[in-house]
Amino acid sequence: MLFTSPLRYPLYQLGNPQLRIFRPNWFLTLVRPGKEQPPDTAQFRIPMEMTKCDVKNYLEKIYNVPVGAVRTRIQFGSNKKRNHLSQKVKQPDYKVAYVQLAQGQTFTFPDIFPEKDRTAAEGSVEEMQEKFLEDEKQKQKPDPRRGGVTEWFGL
Amino acid sequence: MAARTRLPLLFPKNLPPFRNQRLVQTEAAAKDPAYPPIVPSRTAKSKSALRRQVEEHVQKVRASPVEEKLALITRIQRQKFVVYPQTFARDADRWYQHFTKTAYIPGLPEKFTRGQEHTGGEEGSPPAAAQTTVPGIENDAFADIRSLISRVILQEHWYQKKRRPFLFREQEHMVGPLLRNLVSGLTYSLAKYNPLLPLCSLDVNPQVNFYWSRGQRIIPRGHRSGRLEPTRFQIDDHPHTQIRITQQLPEFAPLEASYDAEVPEITLAPNLMPMFRRQYDNNIFTGSKLPDPARYGHTQFHLVPDRYHRDRMARQQQSDQVEVFLRANGLASLFAWTGAQAMYQGFWNYEDVTRPFVSQAVITDGHFFSFFCYQLNTVALSVETDANNPRKNLLWGTESLRLYESVQDGEVVGLNDSVIKLLVQFLMNQP
Repeated sequence: MLFTSPLRYPLYQLGNPQLRIFRPNWFLTLVRPGKEQPPDTAQFRIPMEMTKCDVKNYLEKIYNVPVGAVRTRIQFGSNKKRNHLSQKVKQPDYKVAYVQLAQGQTFTFPDIFPEKDRTAAEGSVEEMQEKFLEDEKQKQKPDPRRGGVTEWFGL
Repeated sequence: MAARTRLPLLFPKNLPPFRNQRLVQTEAAAKDPAYPPIVPSRTAKSKSALRRQVEEHVQKVRASPVEEKLALITRIQRQKFVVYPQTFARDADRWYQHFTKTAYIPGLPEKFTRGQEHTGGEEGSPPAAAQTTVPGIENDAFADIRSLISRVILQEHWYQKKRRPFLFREQEHMVGPLLRNLVSGLTYSLAKYNPLLPLCSLDVNPQVNFYWSRGQRIIPRGHRSGRLEPTRFQIDDHPHTQIRITQQLPEFAPLEASYDAEVPEITLAPNLMPMFRRQYDNNIFTGSKLPDPARYGHTQFHLVPDRYHRDRMARQQQSDQVEVFLRANGLASLFAWTGAQAMYQGFWNYEDVTRPFVSQAVITDGHFFSFFCYQLNTVALSVETDANNPRKNLLWGTESLRLYESVQDGEVVGLNDSVIKLLVQFLMNQP
């Protein structure tokens, strides 16, 4: 762990106020799990230098999230694809952390892109266009009075 | 003149009547034409052939004696999930309940709580009552047992000077001998009250293994992708001590009572628990080999290792997982033991148990004791046999109860009588 602080803090002697602030230079990304996880598990992408204990302390101290257990793995980014110059293109490796929450808390990844009801506003151009397209489609459908029989034969 | 007709020399007096006119219509087809039975092929590459192979294997196992049954069931090695009774996984008891189809009932069965209710009633009665709270044990015997327990505790913690043990060996050094002495002392002193105990077998650090399959999954990748594969499990347990007896303990609750019990359903794969897969010998073992007469289980005693000690869990802010760990330990160990006992009697996946198998366990870390009772009602846990199986296994368990407060100046302070009473009741359990 590297603590890089651009300021120079005054020299500390016993009794002085504690002025040093350590802010980690790491950022966690909460992701939607690819495979289904138990309800108390959250999945993060974390920097490679972080460890399980670091993740636990990070979440507990900064975000007040009660953490039960953390398991990590490193995902190898593929080196198989080649570009137009036939050079291998490497996708970056990343570390994934599975965090099990304590105190019976559960977490489900929210739906970030919900389906919107795309009805156009009254009297607008889009509504007229939609109606026109719907009429056209309705003209293409076969006659419902024939009860599903095709129009290949007959009068 | 009479022409000589060609007749035999010895002309029979009574000729058979109308030899030429055979009575055709009366000779009915009494014998059916013997065609062989129409069954699907055995070696074809078809689903019916596979079903026939499975059916024939099941018939073969049904027809063989017990040793061969066990050998045939555990013959093929495949990747299986190894279930550790003492596990660090969170919420392990819910997962284990799903794997073993067990319902958890807090508290002990009526057999043991009836004694507790008696205590409540008898406290008002005069103290000159000869019978104590435990039926069958006199006051003096109970006092003897109390003194035995305090002697055992003092021996380990007061009289014997021990050095600080090596890292993570504290429980093994301090509590291991205590538990061993406690178990053997209690067994010997209660031998005159329980007729099963003189014929019992007390194992020290035995091995208990069980192998079963439950649920299935679709293989995602590989040359077998798309096919259904049953999920196999194996438990390899080493209880601290166990008592095996020659007769079976009576059931705690009737089989039908388990039909309403609730078992948590978990649709996720076991490796999310986390649980890991390995491939090695499939073992089914109760603690002794098949010909041993003491083939039914009575009580197991487990020791909580340092890694799961409640002080360490409290330091890691995981105090709620202590009870979970104890329940998971009791569940897995007792399921393995009762399952192995049932297998030794010839019951397996396709031949379900006809009578419930019952065992008890005590899990302790020196100060706190938890008591568990397990009733195995069904061994048929695989997908085909579980489809219409309403039976569930049952686990009764207590919270951890403190036995004594501390040891001061050669005296055990705060010895809890109810815990001793429960211990005695457990060991006195007999048909």
